[in-house]
Order: sequence, then structure tokens, then C-alpha cells
Amino acid sequence: MSHRMQAWLLAAPATLLVFVFLGLPVLSTLAMTFADPKGPLASYAAFFNSGFRMTVLWRTMEVALTTTILSVGIGFVVAWVVARAPSRLKSLLIIAAVFPLLTGVVVRAFAWLVILGKNGILNSFLLWIGAITEPLSMLYTQGSVIVAMVYLFVPLMILTLVGVLEGIPQDLTDAAASLGATPAAAFRQVVLPMAVPGLIVGSVLVFTGSFTSYATPQLLGGERQMMMGTFLYQRAMVTFDWLGASTIAAVMVVVTLATVLLMSRLARKLNPVAG
Amino acid sequence: MKRKTHPALIAFTVLTFFFLLGPLVVILGSALSDTPFLTFPPQGLTLHWFQNIFEISAFTRTMGTSFMLAVGGTALSMLIGIPAAYALARYRVELPSFLGNVFVLPILIPEIVLGFSLMKSLASGLGTPIMATLLVGHALLVLPYCVRVVGASLNSFDFSIEEAAVSLGCPRWRAFFTVVLPNIRAGIIAGFILAFITSLNDVSISIFLTGPGVSTLPIQLLAHMEQFFDPTIAAVSVLLMGVTVAVMAVVERTLGLTFLTK
Amino acid sequence: MTVSLSLENITAHYGTVKVLEDLSLHIAEGELVSLLGSSGCGKTTTLRLVAGFLEPTAGTIKLGDRDLTRLPAHARNIGLVFQTYALFPHLTVRENVGFGLKQRGVAAAERATRVNAMIERVGLGELADRHPANLSGGQRQRVALARALVIDPPLLMFDEPLSNLDAKLRVDMRVEIRRLQQANGTTALYVTHDQEEAFSISDRVAIMNAGRIMQLDRPEVLYSNPANAFVANFVGFENMIEMRAVAEAGDAVRAEIKGGGTIDLPKSQFTVPAQEFLFATRADGLQVAATGQGIACTLGLRTYIGRAYQYHCDTPAGQLVANGPLAHPFESGANAVLVPQPEQCCLLPKEA
Repeated sequence: MSHRMQAWLLAAPATLLVFVFLGLPVLSTLAMTFADPKGPLASYAAFFNSGFRMTVLWRTMEVALTTTILSVGIGFVVAWVVARAPSRLKSLLIIAAVFPLLTGVVVRAFAWLVILGKNGILNSFLLWIGAITEPLSMLYTQGSVIVAMVYLFVPLMILTLVGVLEGIPQDLTDAAASLGATPAAAFRQVVLPMAVPGLIVGSVLVFTGSFTSYATPQLLGGERQMMMGTFLYQRAMVTFDWLGASTIAAVMVVVTLATVLLMSRLARKLNPVAG
Repeated sequence: MKRKTHPALIAFTVLTFFFLLGPLVVILGSALSDTPFLTFPPQGLTLHWFQNIFEISAFTRTMGTSFMLAVGGTALSMLIGIPAAYALARYRVELPSFLGNVFVLPILIPEIVLGFSLMKSLASGLGTPIMATLLVGHALLVLPYCVRVVGASLNSFDFSIEEAAVSLGCPRWRAFFTVVLPNIRAGIIAGFILAFITSLNDVSISIFLTGPGVSTLPIQLLAHMEQFFDPTIAAVSVLLMGVTVAVMAVVERTLGLTFLTK
Repeated sequence: MTVSLSLENITAHYGTVKVLEDLSLHIAEGELVSLLGSSGCGKTTTLRLVAGFLEPTAGTIKLGDRDLTRLPAHARNIGLVFQTYALFPHLTVRENVGFGLKQRGVAAAERATRVNAMIERVGLGELADRHPANLSGGQRQRVALARALVIDPPLLMFDEPLSNLDAKLRVDMRVEIRRLQQANGTTALYVTHDQEEAFSISDRVAIMNAGRIMQLDRPEVLYSNPANAFVANFVGFENMIEMRAVAEAGDAVRAEIKGGGTIDLPKSQFTVPAQEFLFATRADGLQVAATGQGIACTLGLRTYIGRAYQYHCDTPAGQLVANGPLAHPFESGANAVLVPQPEQCCLLPKEA
């Protein structure tokens, strides 16, 4: 048996699983969007002409973008501190970041229900210290969704960026210092440009993750703060409008793939080690 | 001896970790609090809510389903993922380069789209049993973790060791089991664990494939949470965090947790 | 601008581990001094202290009149060449070389002139717009050198700069480094574990061990007159024989060899006052002969080393290595005498 045959035989089961159970169903969903009896592009026309659907799309974009920016900002500062911490403390901090990351989304969203709810601990605390007299309604707002999303993605960002920052050899910052660069100049001229590809990778993960999330907007945003994920579910399983749901799915796939492709191109262009 | 970090940055980092861990402590607090709503300042302590988990059959049943699904989906994914990772690492020339990306597709396609599509094409279109569809969905969901984590340890594996075994008269298949597998054991354990926890916590795929008959624990929790606020949910959450702690201990012992920053 | 570098009574710790102990070193203006030693001897720590990446627990570092001890690294104005080259991967050759001038606020036009001149000088004219990833090891080394030189530092430091190059290139580059250093008359500190490299280009070499300088002198002196057993061993004295002076007879001193036998040594060689001493030679310093005045031995394994045959010999003083003439090979197992060659031997104090 030739090597090529052996190789294909070994790779075949996994390849088939992806093609048959991911490729075909997803393609059929995408194909369905063009099978609207009113015309091939009618489902898209309906989507982009509907004020409500566009509101959901823009809201999702806005939440995802805000989440990304906040996660990058918080994650970069924390990763910087963690990467420079003495090794014992560093392992401890990494454990502290991994723990929430490995805890499920439902549990993590639930925590914010307990904190932000009408009878939640934050309201209870504010009432107790007398800062407010009536409980605030903090749930089911864009703010509550964003807080929970940032909470979801900051650990991921920290871990990604610690890896990136640790990958920058200390010799380089030492070299910059020996050439007269102040710590701030070395950060701006050496560390930051070298961290850019990692920042982009992290941002893509957070953006696509929050753009397509379901559990968090469902629990903390509810009907009032419908996002693409919850909207897709509602169309598919509540109103049984599979054509509409497929169109939402198609828009999500396009946005996700476009983000990944554009950003990985940008990352390659800004790759410091490019030739 | 030299590297100093600005105190403002340290303060910010401390606040961030408070933000990351505080909510989990709040969950623990609600699970132990004897008031249905966690109040401030906290009242008395009770284990009643933990006891309550086992009196709600929906929780115990879905716990079993989730566990079986996570083990089954991950095992299935490993069974086909390890040979694929091996083929990618061993036969770089013989296989087209895009094949490596094929196994990452389940990450690239939004989970919720995959869940919807599986429901539409398989469960509804072909009438496949719910449990089988869930199993396929979860196997797909975790395949990238299996292939990539195992692949990472295969990439640092020195294949001349395998050739040495073969030159000493060991058949290829036996060399794989006696020489290759033991040397990538850490990668397999890590991949299994990451996959297991991903499957166990999954919502976006399972949400489309569960119904009154079959459900998973996260979906059951979600449904429960939307209807009523019950500290039993906090107790279940604490149990799930316990699983996370166990998983982290295993990862720490096999690979060291710094593995996760790579 | 040439100045001297002084390290005065430097002690340094890594955590609780002491890595340098009361180290003093003075490098004169325009002089190139190497720190030579195996890994962990403290040579790189010394360099990093001077560079300002580490702080000493005690002691003073002075460059000319300037006290560097508490100055941050970026304010020290020292040209540093790293073992890993430490080129900025996101910058071109030109930008790498210009980095230091940019930090000093040198205007773009002047910067360009100086950078281009320096790039030409190290022979990289055509590669100026490439990124480091697209250069060979030798080319990267030249960029690193140019980057350190272009800022016109009063002190140049090299941290094992050649250890990542292949053998041929290493020799070429060290000549180049020496040439550039002498042309500028820059004071230089050079760290290496390669004895040949250190000896070939240094004015003086400090051989280090366990955080101390064991001997600091011109290479010629180190090579033929090591001051102690550690240095002798380091520079290749294979045979160390314990002896005891017992009597004087005219121009000779009679010494007892530990293990049995006696030997007469020229009195002029007796620089060691103690009665007990170590007699150290390289294999060249012990000639194998059929008869004569020396150490009786049984010959063991014979190897051919080009200019001579080398024998591993069993003697009452232990295993020794000696050379024999090509014209008269001896057979393994034969009895012979090892005749010391006084000008190739030295007497060392017995270690405490």
C-alpha cells in the first residue's frame, strides 16, 4: 500500500465526519436561503429591509465590538503584568484565569443574574449602604449583556496575550534599552509592534465568539436585547420560520468568515517577521 | 532584580482578577445561603440546595446524559481524530495542505449555525434519533481540540524513534501502539480533557437538539433559570465548578497549566 | 572618545544565590578584555551588571568618571552585541542599525548618513532593506555589530557573540570584531567560553570560576604560566603531579613524587615557596623515552595526533598523558620513562 493511500485511510474518517455532518448540513442551510419562492434573493431583501432584523444585526455588531475592545484593553494590561510576574505568582494568576475559562457559559451567565438581578446581591448591597432606595433594574440591558460577555472573554484574551508577550524574547527589550530606549519607548517601538499579530488573533476570537453567542444574550439580554444568536433560535424553534432562520445563519457565517479572512490578512501584513 | 511594574497596572490587574473570580464566589455564596435570594449581608448557611439537586429528576437525568455525551462524543472524536492528526504530522508530503484546515472548520463555523443545520438536516430531515444527532454534533464540536492538541504533541514527536522500532523488526501498527502512543500520551490526555469540558458545557449545538425527551444539563439549567430563580441552580453550578477544578488538576499533573497559554 | 571601565568589589545575587563575590576588574582605555569561563561562572552576570540589566548587591561600576551603578540601562550608552543577536524582527536592517540614533534624537538626515556609512562598513550595503528573518547567521551578526557601533559608545560589550555561527565564520568574525574595535579605539568587554577565541583577540583575559576571577593577564602569560591549578587545567595542562621538595643539590632541587620515585628540577623554576606543590605539564611537556631521568611508567593506549604519538601511561603518580617521537613508536605495555621538559612545565601551589 502506498504512503499516499495509508495517509488518506488514516485521515478519511475525520474528513468524512466534517464533510458529511458539517459541510452538507451547513451548505443545505445556506442553499435554503436562495430557495425563497418569492425569488432567489428575496430572503436577503427581507432581512436587510426589515428594521427589526437590522436593529438586531447592528446591536450584535455593537455588543461584539464593544466586548472586543474592552477585552483587548483589559486583557493586554493584565497579560503584561502577568507575563512579568515572578514565576510562582505567574502560575497562580494563570490558574486564576483558566478557572473561569473552563467553567461553562451558563454558569458564568448565571453568576451575573445573581449579581445584577432585582433581588441580586448588587442591589441588595446598594440598598444596605443606602446608596439607593429602590432596586435598580440592571438586567436585560445592553450593559448587562456586555458586562457578562467581557467577563466571558477576558480570560481567553489574557491567556492568549500572555503567550504572545512571553514569546517576545527578553533580549529584544534588553537590546532596546542598551541602545538608549526608555522603557516606554521600548514598549512602543518593540513590544507593541511584535504583539500586533497576537492582538489580532485574540480580537478575532473574541469578536466572532461574542457575535455568535447564544446563552449569554439569552439569559442577560432576553427578548428585549435580542442578538443574532438568540434571534436565530427564536426564528427556528419558536416561530418555526426556517427560511428566516437560515438567512440569519447565512449572515452570521458571512460576517464570521469575512472577519477571520480580513483579519488574518491584516495580521499577515502586519506580521513583524514578514519578509 | 530589575523589572518593576507600575503600581497602577498592578492595581488594575488585582481588580480584574477580582472581577473574574468574584462572580464565582457569589455563586458559591448563593448555593450555601439559606435565603432563596442571596442578600447582603449574607444570612445563614445550609446544604439544603445541594440535597435538592438530587430531588429534581430533570437535573439528575440530564447530568447523566451530559456526562455520557461528553465521554462518548470525545471518545468518538479521539478515535478518528488521532489517526487524522497522525496522518497530518507523518505524511506532510502525501496529503494536501488544506486538509489541516478542514479539521478546524467546526471552530470557524458558528456553533449555533451548526446546531441549527444539524437539527434541520439530520434530526428533522432524516429523522435521526436525537441522541445520535447530539453525539455527532458534539464529536464535531470537539474534533478541532482533539486534532490540534494531539497534533501539537505529534509535531514535537521524533518520528525517527518510530523508524528505529520498525528497523528493529516491530510491525508498523504495533510500533504505533507501543512507541508513538506512549510518547504523545500527554497530548491525548490534554486533548481529551479540553474536549470533554467543551462538550460538557456546550449550549449552542445542544439547544437545537434537545426536547422534552432528551436534554443536557446546561440546557436544563438554562430552561430552569428562565422560569424561576432557584438556588438549586447555584448548587448545580458549584458541582460543575468542581468538575472544572478536577480537570485543572489533571491538566496540571500531565502538562502543567502553562500549556494553556501556548 | 575612549574611557576606562572599573568594577570595584562587585557582589551580586540571584535571589539568595550569590553569583559574584567581591569582583574587581579594571579595563584600560582602548583595551579589549575577555571574561572566559564555563557556563555559570558569572561572566554573563558581570556583563549584564555593566549593561544595567541587573543590579549589584554591593560594589561600584564606573565608566571613566561616570558612576553607572544605579543608572538605568537605557541611560548608560554602552554598545552591546548579544549572543542571540537580538535583532528587532519587525524592523529592516537599516531600521535596526538606526534604532539607537533614533532614541538619541539624531535628525533623520544625519541618521541616514551615519546608518548607511556603518552598513557599508560592515559590508551589508545590499541588504539594508531586508528583515532579519531573511539574513544568514553571519549577516545577522554584522547587523548586530553595526547597531552597537553606530551609536559611538565609549564601551563595547560582547556576550558570546559568535557561539551561534559555524567554525569558519567564527574565525572571520572575531578578526572583524577586533579590527573594528581597534580602529575605533573603543574599550571593550568580551564574554566567551571559547579559549581560542578569547586568547586570539584579547589584550587581557580574565579566567573566571564560581563568581571569581581566577587569573587576569595577557593570553601569553595565561597559556604558559597559569597561576593556579584551576587555570592550568582550564588552559590544557593535562598532567598534575603532586610533589614534595626534599633536598637541594647545586642548581637542582630534588622532589619526591607522590606515589613513589624522585625527580630533579631546575632551581630557577622554583617560584612556589611551599614544600608541597603541584607539577603541571601538558602532554608535550612529558617526553616518552626508553631511558633517562624522569618518571617510570608503563605505556598504555597509543594515539596518533599528527605531530607526535600520544600515550596514556600508568605511573606511580597515577594516569598521565605524554607525547613520544614519531620516529620511534613504542608498543603498548612497554616500560618507559617520562622525561619532563622544564620550559613546558610549571609549579603551582597545592590547593587548600
